[in-house]
Amino acid sequence: MSILSALRLRLPAPIRIALISLAFSLVITLPVLLFVYHQTDSLFEDRIHDRLDDDVRDVLFADSSSGAAALPGLMDQALRTGELRGGVALLVDARGHKLAGNLAGWPPVLPTPSEWNEIRLYPEGQVRPDLFAIRTLALGDGRRLLVGTTIGERERMRAALVEALLGALLLAVPLGLIGGWVILKIAERRARAIGNVAARIAGGDFSHRLDEATGGEEFAMLAAAINAMLERIEELVEQLRLVTDSLAHDLRSPLTRMRANLERAATGGVGHRRQQALEAVSLDIDRMLRIISATLEISSAEAGAGKEHFESVDLAQLLRDIAEIYNPMAEERGVRIVTEGPPTLLYRGNRQSIGRAVANLVDNAVKYGDGPIDIGAADKGESVELWIADRGPGIPTELREQALGKYRRLEEARTTEGSGLGLALARAVARLHGGDIELLDNGPGLRVVLTLRRAGDLSLL
Amino acid sequence: MTKKILVVEDDATTADYVAKGFEQNGYVVDVARDGRDGLFHATDGKYAAIVLDRMLPGMDGLAVLGALRAAGIDTPVIVLSALGSTDERVKGLKSGSDDYLTKPFAFSELIARVEALQRRGPSGAQPVVTTLRCADLAMDLLARRVERNGTRVELQPREFRLLELLLRNQGQVVTRTMMLEEVWDYHFDPGTNVIDVHISRLRKKIDDSGREPLLHTVRGVGYMLSDSA
Repeated sequence: MSILSALRLRLPAPIRIALISLAFSLVITLPVLLFVYHQTDSLFEDRIHDRLDDDVRDVLFADSSSGAAALPGLMDQALRTGELRGGVALLVDARGHKLAGNLAGWPPVLPTPSEWNEIRLYPEGQVRPDLFAIRTLALGDGRRLLVGTTIGERERMRAALVEALLGALLLAVPLGLIGGWVILKIAERRARAIGNVAARIAGGDFSHRLDEATGGEEFAMLAAAINAMLERIEELVEQLRLVTDSLAHDLRSPLTRMRANLERAATGGVGHRRQQALEAVSLDIDRMLRIISATLEISSAEAGAGKEHFESVDLAQLLRDIAEIYNPMAEERGVRIVTEGPPTLLYRGNRQSIGRAVANLVDNAVKYGDGPIDIGAADKGESVELWIADRGPGIPTELREQALGKYRRLEEARTTEGSGLGLALARAVARLHGGDIELLDNGPGLRVVLTLRRAGDLSLL
Repeated sequence: MTKKILVVEDDATTADYVAKGFEQNGYVVDVARDGRDGLFHATDGKYAAIVLDRMLPGMDGLAVLGALRAAGIDTPVIVLSALGSTDERVKGLKSGSDDYLTKPFAFSELIARVEALQRRGPSGAQPVVTTLRCADLAMDLLARRVERNGTRVELQPREFRLLELLLRNQGQVVTRTMMLEEVWDYHFDPGTNVIDVHISRLRKKIDDSGREPLLHTVRGVGYMLSDSA
């Protein structure tokens, strides 16, 4: 089992987050401190080497220019004046007797020559011993020279650096804990907000949304994504609810009638009345089948099915066909259907579904409107427009959106035959073709405008 | 000669309903419960028509159809499907079926379509006919002339096609949706009495001369042209 998974198992979340943030701060600060330590240390040693080099050069110069006899005097003088910057020097003869310098004697076991020795020494005139870097070399006639300089400073620097390191670590622990706690609290608050909204939605209230304004970009993005998802879910659930409610409503009345008619047929009566009752049942069944197939058609159009069967359609011809199909029925009701627009209008789309949508709208216009009914098409370049306009009572502005909804049939229309899905189907078909439906005032009457967008590939036909 | 119908349908209720309906109309019916069995039966080629469900266990209905056509068997096939959209219908027709009917359907609609298919015969084998007759009603397809008892009847082009459809299926019921499909090439249920008005206009033109009426209403189903009421 890894350490992390052990932590996950045993520690509560805030401490876990604090430890993780501590580890992160260590990972970041430790290399920096080590780098500083190494850099200052080597800088220091360079300076000590320089100093020892200078002192050795000075002594050698005095020895060669003034002669061996004058050297001890010159050295003592230089030590006093601080000309020998290292501060420690010793000159002994071949037998080891001190000739000049500020050390009592040659430190034991110190080899000659040597480049770098670190020795604790007690130079004359100093109150306490200190750590020195010592270099030794042989002069002529068996004489030996020692120069040195204190490196206690370096040691103190090292100690200070280690202290700083420890201090930084000590500081990182509480800071990490606090930072971790703060991050945890923020995350917890967001999570709780999301959780609350989720709980409300689980409780059946779909209207709640997350606050997208607060909490930084990432949380705003998350909130926006969740809200968009909720929006879509609410829409779908609402649709489903409407479908079920209205389907139940729309199927209940024919079912009730069927039941009554079947009872009438079952309890006998004269032959032709029984026949009538059975025919009424069969009419109601047809009506129910129409409602169901219209529902399926709308759903599949809304799901984008049918795009694979786009073909070149002459919309002007399509309008003439529909007018021809419906004109006899319209004329029986004293209404005329007039087609307008260009003699041909080529468009790439699904002929069957456009035909069905237009037929539904014309059917509505004949049943609920008044004549003359104008149907027409116009080429708008990027899109085409189809319209079906009647001179009936129209639909009041405030009810238009409602009229477009699936099943949201206007109350007065419920009494008339039909599935009540005509407008919803027309809208689904328009959307399948990248367009939409508009209900406008025809002053008087209703003007339904379908906009169908042209797909880019019309030129390939 | 009794006609044989093959019903390929996995749902027992639907299969029984369809089989009983055909039997009552004088057919002999074989029922296959899955695609493989259906294909096995159908390869005999002894059927007048095949009613083929779209969704079958074992072998999809359209795959059965494809295999049949590939084997050179051109028995008329009508596909039954719960997939009701016009696109499914196009897909079905494209894979070689002769007609397509959406579930749920009325049996009267199914048998009307099956009988129309047999009348039409295997695709391509249609004999060249220039004149259609029913009693004293005659249609000259070349001159596009219609006469009732020797008197010319003036018809609009669509009325002509409607009458042609009825004449070609005389003695059989033609449903409203069949009319919308054949005459206008739209595949939706017009629902209201849209087609009825067209028929009543046609009836006025051909039956109004005091002669015996030829165009009969079959209640709840459609219309039929025949010389005996």
